[in-house]
Amino acid sequence: MAYFKDEQELYQYIGRLFQDLAADEELAPKFKKANTIVQYRYRNPDAQITTKLIEGEEGQVDLGPTELVHEVLMTMEADTAHNFWLGKVNITVALARGQMKAKGPVAKILKLVPLVKPVFPRYKKLLSDAGREDLIIP
Amino acid sequence: MDEYDDDATARAGEFGSRQMAGFKPFYQFIAPTRVIAGYDLIGGIGFEFAKEGAKRVLIVTDQVLRETGLVDRVIAGVEDGGLEVAGIVDGVPQDSDAGVVMRTAEAGHEHGADSILAVGGGSVMDTAKVANVIFVHGGDPRGWEGYFGLPRDDDGQGRPQELAPLACIPTTAGTGSEVSFVAVVKDRDAHVKFQIGDIPMYPRLALLDPESTRTLPVKLAASTGMDAMTHAIEGYVSSEWNPHSDAYAMAALRLLRDNLHRAFEHPADDEARGNMLIAANLAIQPTSSSAIGIAHSMSHACGAHCDVPHGVANAINLPWVIEFNAAGGDEIAARYRDVNDVFGLETGGSAEAVGHALGEHVRQLVASLGLPTRLSQVGVTEASIDLLVDGAMGDACTLVNPRDTSEEEFAELYRLAL
Repeated sequence: MAYFKDEQELYQYIGRLFQDLAADEELAPKFKKANTIVQYRYRNPDAQITTKLIEGEEGQVDLGPTELVHEVLMTMEADTAHNFWLGKVNITVALARGQMKAKGPVAKILKLVPLVKPVFPRYKKLLSDAGREDLIIP
Repeated sequence: MDEYDDDATARAGEFGSRQMAGFKPFYQFIAPTRVIAGYDLIGGIGFEFAKEGAKRVLIVTDQVLRETGLVDRVIAGVEDGGLEVAGIVDGVPQDSDAGVVMRTAEAGHEHGADSILAVGGGSVMDTAKVANVIFVHGGDPRGWEGYFGLPRDDDGQGRPQELAPLACIPTTAGTGSEVSFVAVVKDRDAHVKFQIGDIPMYPRLALLDPESTRTLPVKLAASTGMDAMTHAIEGYVSSEWNPHSDAYAMAALRLLRDNLHRAFEHPADDEARGNMLIAANLAIQPTSSSAIGIAHSMSHACGAHCDVPHGVANAINLPWVIEFNAAGGDEIAARYRDVNDVFGLETGGSAEAVGHALGEHVRQLVASLGLPTRLSQVGVTEASIDLLVDGAMGDACTLVNPRDTSEEEFAELYRLAL
């Protein structure tokens, strides 16, 4: 069974995490170094998050339909995204196994990968604060 | 995703984990290219390529090779096998770009070709590989940037759709592009090199004949040979190591140990040059498992921003990276001990000592090959370092290095190599 029952639940947790990061005074400027617009398309449940990471511009996170035109497209199961933010996914393996698919100038977001490590505890806390310990895999 | 897959995802290693020994929870190894190696093979290229379905062949090469007469012998070989030469694209530059790729694909259509034969070094072969994608699927090169993104049957989940038959005759012994699924092409407007990689991009046939490197300048033989050396060492110590890629990397290292300097000192030695072609061919295979490392991350950035030839950049960066990585822990150092054993170097002592022994060995080899040993000798300046660090951090090779590398550590490595 999938972790999230519907797209709203996915937006409530993963979407919220993206919004928090976009507003983070310390992390947001680092993420904006990517200078790109990334769209994450999820399956089971179907959902879509689009993030604008452009230096010198206001960050933007659109949950669902968007007018932003993405440069990089990442597609994956919603469960894979959830596991990723818990720190449980090796991206290289996920790409090789087709659990994550990347299209576009992937290098722009690969440079963000080392930056996301400190975000994992934040995601766990977000779930914990929402009373969703059931979603935290030991 | 079902429950089993969830478990598999977790077993496949947590984010950033580096499992350097034991049974790996997941790896993939792919080597689908038919390789033919030996003497006097070029005259039989048509006979061999026909087995891959080729009938009307577009030959992709460069002007320098055309002038050596090698391409004429290839044409004769194609025709001797009963195939037609549909057309020839001989304008591929040393550092090919998206425009050249588009023109090559267009030439394929104009001449009614059904297959592609690349005769050249990495730039020629990568041009042919990406041109094949455009030739079959259309679009433009940057539109296909990324990994595993080519069209597949069954709504994108099934078998990748085949490209036209592609054969490669490498004329340098370094990139191994003739048996890899990735191609690197420059976007001159954006000042970046971008990568496209997917399983159908594996060439169907690679022909390794020392005749094809007979006119290779010794400096180029040296730098491309160091590229192969870097593939083998980084492939062996990468976080994505596995027993299959180990076997290829170790065989490559033994051939490099015995033939790189010999081929440099005796350019007429067909046996040494033939073995170097095979070494380069074996050394690239770990990349099918994504096994590579940050010497490549650093060198890709040097090429994109400072136009440093890839093999030269690898030759300079590799020893510093070896010392940095080996000091990252006993499990990483254990992989380097195996490499040292091949070269008859110190295998005991501390992790730092093991790394230093191999680093020094590589430095001496690079110097003995007459290659630059400092980035400052090839146009890199202190002022370039911020840009280079940015490039290296965003390089896919960084994710599979055995040791995590921060921006500050990349900057320090570049300064050491400067």
